[in-house]
Parts: sequence; structure tokens; C-alpha cells
Amino acid sequence: MMVRTAFVLLLSGLSASAFAGSFAGTSAGASSAGSSGSSGSTSGDDKVVLQAREDAAGFVASDGRIRGARLEAALRHLRASNAAARDASDLEIAQAILAR
Amino acid sequence: MPLRICRRTALAVLTCLLAVPAAASGWSVTHTAHGAPLDARESTAAFAAVESVRARLPPRWRDADDLDVAIEWRNDLPETVHGRAFGPHLRMRRALLAPDDAHARESALLHELAHRYDRSTHGGLSRDARLRDLAGWPQRPLRLGTRVRENAMRDRSPDAYELTSPAEFVAVNLEYFLTDPDYACRRPALHAYFAAHFDWAPSAADCAAALPFVEAEASGRETPLLPLDPARVYAVDYLLAEGNARPMSAWGHSMLRLVICAPGRPAGPDCRLDLQHHRVLSFRAFVDDVQISNLRGLTGRYPSRLFVLPLDQVIDEYTRIELRGLQSVPLRLAPDEIASLLERAATLHWSYDGRYWFVGNNCAVETWKLLHTGVPRLADARLRSITPNGLLRKLARSGDADASVLEREDAVRAGFYFPSADTEYQALFDIARTAQALPGTTVEDWLASEPESRASWLATTGQRDGAALLVLEHAARRRNELELRDALKRRLLDPRQAARVAPAVATLRELLAAGDGLSRPAQLIDGGYGLPQAAEQVVLRDGVDARALKLRGLRSQLEGEARAALTVEEQARVAALDRNVEMLGARLRALHREAGGLQLD
Repeated sequence: MMVRTAFVLLLSGLSASAFAGSFAGTSAGASSAGSSGSSGSTSGDDKVVLQAREDAAGFVASDGRIRGARLEAALRHLRASNAAARDASDLEIAQAILAR
Repeated sequence: MPLRICRRTALAVLTCLLAVPAAASGWSVTHTAHGAPLDARESTAAFAAVESVRARLPPRWRDADDLDVAIEWRNDLPETVHGRAFGPHLRMRRALLAPDDAHARESALLHELAHRYDRSTHGGLSRDARLRDLAGWPQRPLRLGTRVRENAMRDRSPDAYELTSPAEFVAVNLEYFLTDPDYACRRPALHAYFAAHFDWAPSAADCAAALPFVEAEASGRETPLLPLDPARVYAVDYLLAEGNARPMSAWGHSMLRLVICAPGRPAGPDCRLDLQHHRVLSFRAFVDDVQISNLRGLTGRYPSRLFVLPLDQVIDEYTRIELRGLQSVPLRLAPDEIASLLERAATLHWSYDGRYWFVGNNCAVETWKLLHTGVPRLADARLRSITPNGLLRKLARSGDADASVLEREDAVRAGFYFPSADTEYQALFDIARTAQALPGTTVEDWLASEPESRASWLATTGQRDGAALLVLEHAARRRNELELRDALKRRLLDPRQAARVAPAVATLRELLAAGDGLSRPAQLIDGGYGLPQAAEQVVLRDGVDARALKLRGLRSQLEGEARAALTVEEQARVAALDRNVEMLGARLRALHREAGGLQLD
């Protein structure tokens, strides 16, 4: 199947969707991240946090130097919706996201 | 108005002649018959039809000069032809004068009168560049000034005859514009075009604010139906997936990012961080077979489809799996331009069935066509480009895209640039090495090592280096997935393994067939034309939801079959990688708890 997929996909963005993740042999994908709470249904709110998990890891590891937009979105979301997060620092929230 | 004597010497039988009183009109209509003269009933029907049609016409058309027509009602038109227009001479099918045919009679008459109008100095619609863009005869990117011959707006056409030529397109669409109150909602851009031309519009239905889209890849358990209200779209960015070292991907891939505001948030800059609501419009070749062929891509044998995808998925695909950066450059568009751009996108989504050509009709060409048809201001030949990065350069040069965002210090943080995930891998490895004496000096050594050999290091991390190693474990797992995918592809193509992989191939074929429906949603409903209206959307929802459910089932079945096709060693490696990620996740949670860190729930 798709002998030269890479060539084709990269040029044109062919419909890779049928393959993305389905041939992986694991249910992994970027979002599960070994998190205890990652399986099962995720509400829209949880999703913001889950999507930010890898960004949060980069942020914690680099002491704030690596700071992606998904983390930024999760910080804003959590400060607006979570009482505990309201007055916490960026690093504290990033650590909490990482520990989800 | 003087009576006009209609005399066609070519006709053996001369006929009666009737003239219509031209009360409120600038032009006259005469009726003649081929064969026996029109009887009283036929005459009445012919008169009434003309008056009824005339009453529907826009004032500018009705009152125009030099549009006189001589209608000849004939019995000898070919079976499928209702009428023909030769300059001022219209030949109409005489059978249309039968009592029950009022609707067909008036439609046919309107159609031929539309040809008469279009060919006159008042009309010229079918020669207008804008009309041809909207209709589906766009310019070719490579040959200056020429347009494609074949109209690919095949799906959900009210009458396939409109695809014959721009002249027929105009005649058919003027019929609908003047007689169908839904035309404004089904073909909004064409309705606006005709309304502007005539400076008048017939009374029309109220259109729903939201444009219907179907997502090719609905996440989770949500329905793939995506009603999109243009007022909720704060901005549209040109989204460029950067090229990489592979030969033909140096050009990159062009897409459009819709900055959709979260429900309840007023449209404004704050919407830029509502990432999970953003969607991406991406033209892709739809691969309908298990085996991809370069030749088919070069010779236009794949359909080109407009996919609607969640931004989150696009970020993952490009930055984490393909390891390419994404540039998100805002286009300078007014709100009404965003609305017309989205309207055009919706129209393509429901009607376009084009072909993908690697050079002549690739993603950049499709995006360029969408931009300048959606936003006429951008219909400037200088913007034309056949490469994604070329198009961005030109948009930036003309001031239509604000590329300065890429220079901003907060470009990454604010979501104008999504770097490839691997740009930080070495830095993260170096961070981890300051905490523990990890083997190897480059991150490549680390990622290439056996997962089991990394496990003991992962068990003893601190919080900061553990975070760094978590990113790298994910990277290792994704890399392994890609390698397995390649290995599986080879196995699926290997005739010696045909029996073993047959179930997976069958599933994959089914998956492709099911995905076909969601990327070309016109296949999921019958009835109506153009953008689906409320009643059609109800039917659509059931079809779409069933399709999505089937897709999810097939996908997990394929996963299972793919897993079964792995060797024991490969399965062990997958399990080891999963274990590493699980273990490290658990360790980070434990460290966080011990440190008394913030708990979110």
C-alpha cells in the first residue's frame, strides 16, 4: 500500500487521514500521553487541557522557554474555569497539566 | 409598436402572426407557428406565458431596448430540446403550448429569453470573468488568460445542462434566480452577482446564517456536521505547512485556517486561542485506492476535495508526525469578505468534483482560486502561483497577508507559528542529561535505543528532566508508529503475504469508501441543489452520523488487523514503548503529588 506515500503526502497533503493513527498498532496518538484520565469520553474542556499536555511538558522541562500556543490556550482556559488555577503561576499550572 | 411581419423564406409553410401588446416593455414579442397556425387556445397560452415571464423580469431587462424577439413554435425540435435562440429568433417546442405545461412552457421561454438578453449589449454575463469564476470555469494558472474547458461543479447542480457552456449556465441560472425563492440561499454568490447586475432582486427566502459543512474527520463522538456562521469567524489565516527535504515537498502545502470563536466569546483577537474550535480548509487529493500512484497524481486521476479538518488534528499531523512547521499568516479581510470567502468554500464543498494535478491544479492553485473567487478583490493575476510558499510570498507582497506576525517575539505562543516538534528534541535531551548521566550525546542515539534500555532511566527522573523525557518518549513512539506503518504497507503489497493481509486490505478499502462520502458530502443526500437547506440537512444528519459511526468502527477494526499483522518483536516493541509512556506519566503524577503541586480537580 502506498509505496511512495511519503512523497505524495508531503507534496500535496493527500488524504492521509485514513492512515493517520490507524496503522499505528497502538491507540496512542499524541493526546493520550500516558495519562490516567485520557481514555473514555473527553468533554471539550478536558480536551483543551489534554491537547496542551505535550506543550506543558516542554514548558516545565525548559523552565518556560518552550511555550506553545496550546499551553497558552489551556492556561487561559483553566484560569477562567478552575478556581484552584486562578491565582497560580504559569509553571504551577503547566506542572498540574503534566500531572493529569 | 408597429406590427411586425414575420417571414422566413426558408419555411415552406407560412404562418399566422400575432403581436403582443408591449405595454410596459421596451421590446416586442411576435409569435409564429411552424405548420398549422396557432389555434385560439395555443395563442392564448403563448400570450399568457410571455406576459407571465415578462412580469418576472427585472425592470432593467423588461424595459431594455433592442431585445425584440420573434418566437416560432415548432413541432420539429429534437426530443430533448425545448427551445433554441438564434439572435432575436426563438424556436420553441410547440407541444409546450399544451394545457398542462405552463411551468415547463414558462421555464423554457425564460431560458431562451435569457440567451437573448445575455447576447445583447445589456447582458454579456456569460463573457464576464467574475461570472465564469463563480460558475466553475476558472482561469488556468499556467496559461495566461485561458480558462479550463470542463466545469467541475458537478455535484448538486439544479440542471446538469448548465455545465455545457457559460451561456447555458447563465440561462439556467437566470431561470432559477427569477423563479426559485431559495436560489438566494442555495447559490448565494450567484444570487448576489445577478442582483448587483440588475440592481434588483426578486423576493427571496430568509437564509440561515450558518453554512453547512461536513468534517472529514470528526473527532470523538461528535457529529461531523459543522454549521458555520461566518460571523463567528474572527479571521482567516493562510496556513502553510513548510516544505522539508523530500524532493517535491519543498513547496509546502497551503491551507486556510478559520479562526472560529468559542461559543459566547465576542469575535475579536481573543478568539485566536480558541484553538479547539478552529478549523482548517485543505484541498487534498482523495486517494480512493489502496495503492497510491505518482502517475495518477501527475495525470489528474485523483479527485481534488476540499477537506474540513480540526486545527488540532492538522497541528498534530504536520508538526508531530511529519515534523514540519506550520506558518499561520493572517489575511487582511473585512468581515463581509470573510463571509463571502466561506460561502465560496461551502459551495465548493458541496458542488466541486475537480481533479488533482500535481502541477496544474495542486493545493496552491485550488487555494488561490478559492481566495480570488471568494474575495473578488484578490482576483489579481499577479497573485497567481502554483506553489504554496510562492502564493504566500505574493499575498504578503501585495499586503493581503500580514507576514510580520512570523517575526513577532510571541509568534509561537500566540499561535502564528507552530514549530516542528523535533526542533526542541536535542535541547530537551540536554536538559535531561544534566539531571542524569544518560547514555549517548545526541538525541538521535537516545531515540534509536531500545525502549527497555531507557526504562530504568525513566524510573528515576525528577520532575523537570522527566518532563523532557516524556516529550522524547512520545517522539520515539510516533517514530516507531511511522516505521511500522511503512513496514505494514510493504507487507500489504507483497504478493507472498497476500492471504495474511487480505482482511486489512479489505477493511482499508471499505474505510476509503466510507471516507469518500464525508469528503464529498453531496453523495450523502438527494434532492435540492447548491447549499443544502434545512429539510435536506435533517436527512443529511442521519446519513452523516451513520457514516461517521461506520468509519470509527472500521478504523478500530483496521487497527486490530494491523496489530495482528505485526511480528512478535514488533508487538513487543510497541508494548515496551507504551509501558515507558505509562510509567513516566505515573512517575510525574507521583512527583507532583509529593511536591504538593496544584491539583486541577
